[in-house]
Amino acid sequence: MKQILVFVLFSTIICWVMFAPVYRHVAIVRQALLQKEVDYLLEVGASGRYGYIDGEMIEASRGRLESRGFNPALLEYKVSTDNGLDASNPASPVPRGTGIRLVISYPYGNLFVPDRLIGLDPVPGGARMSAAGMKMSEYVPVR
Amino acid sequence: MDKLLLFVLLAVLHVRLMALQLDEERAMHALFELKHAVNRAVHAAAQQTDPALLARGIRAIDEEKAEARFIDYLRANLRLDGTGRPMPGSPLREPAELVLFDVVNADRTFPYRYRNEQHGLDVTLHGPGVVAVIRAEYPRTYRFIVPIRWTVKGVAELLPDG
Repeated sequence: MKQILVFVLFSTIICWVMFAPVYRHVAIVRQALLQKEVDYLLEVGASGRYGYIDGEMIEASRGRLESRGFNPALLEYKVSTDNGLDASNPASPVPRGTGIRLVISYPYGNLFVPDRLIGLDPVPGGARMSAAGMKMSEYVPVR
Repeated sequence: MDKLLLFVLLAVLHVRLMALQLDEERAMHALFELKHAVNRAVHAAAQQTDPALLARGIRAIDEEKAEARFIDYLRANLRLDGTGRPMPGSPLREPAELVLFDVVNADRTFPYRYRNEQHGLDVTLHGPGVVAVIRAEYPRTYRFIVPIRWTVKGVAELLPDG
């Protein structure tokens, strides 16, 4: 009886010890990928050529993140500006001087569930990791 | 009994190694985030053209507006509040420190070589530009690593072709 108890205890700890670095690393990498995607979209969107981040760019971004293992349906994009203009309309790009702000978020899901093995409370499934950034638009309207 | 002791020691060693690795990995990502924040802030600052001089055909930077915009964008990107304290979601726990903010304005001759021995800066600017250096401490999750302080530099210039 005592040996069974020790076996159960040790095997749960070994399971946690084996997997904990892996899923923590996955969480860090996902966060980093979201950050890189924010950087890329802002770099393109705030450039003098565009001045907006529209649905088409967001679809392309979902595709890129899908190829990295994200579920595209769960990704949430929020595009806004620092002065209330709409930054997602290609027909009216935001002019130079306005900051385009982008937030991408993704749920943690069941990533931290193995933490229960050693009695830690996992991150709730509904919680979302997010990456954000704000860059000043360079777009100047051509008259 | 000795096996039990060995097991406990191994588990402790493993947790320490894991904490070390995770903190170093997160510290690197914090550096990238700081660098992007500084880049966006100097970029915004360099776009603050002086309208009075522009009317006379001189592309120059309004230094006061540039510094104000720099701080606005740094705060927005690092999620700091109005007093510079980190808000929830910020990669920092302590306020970032602005070490250097310099505007190289239109009164110089270009290309202009900007040098600062103290911060190891050496850049060539082809137009009026903004140079900034910030310092921030990475908030450690565990106490196994020594405090990491990042010094991040950024330069942006105002060029005729954007």
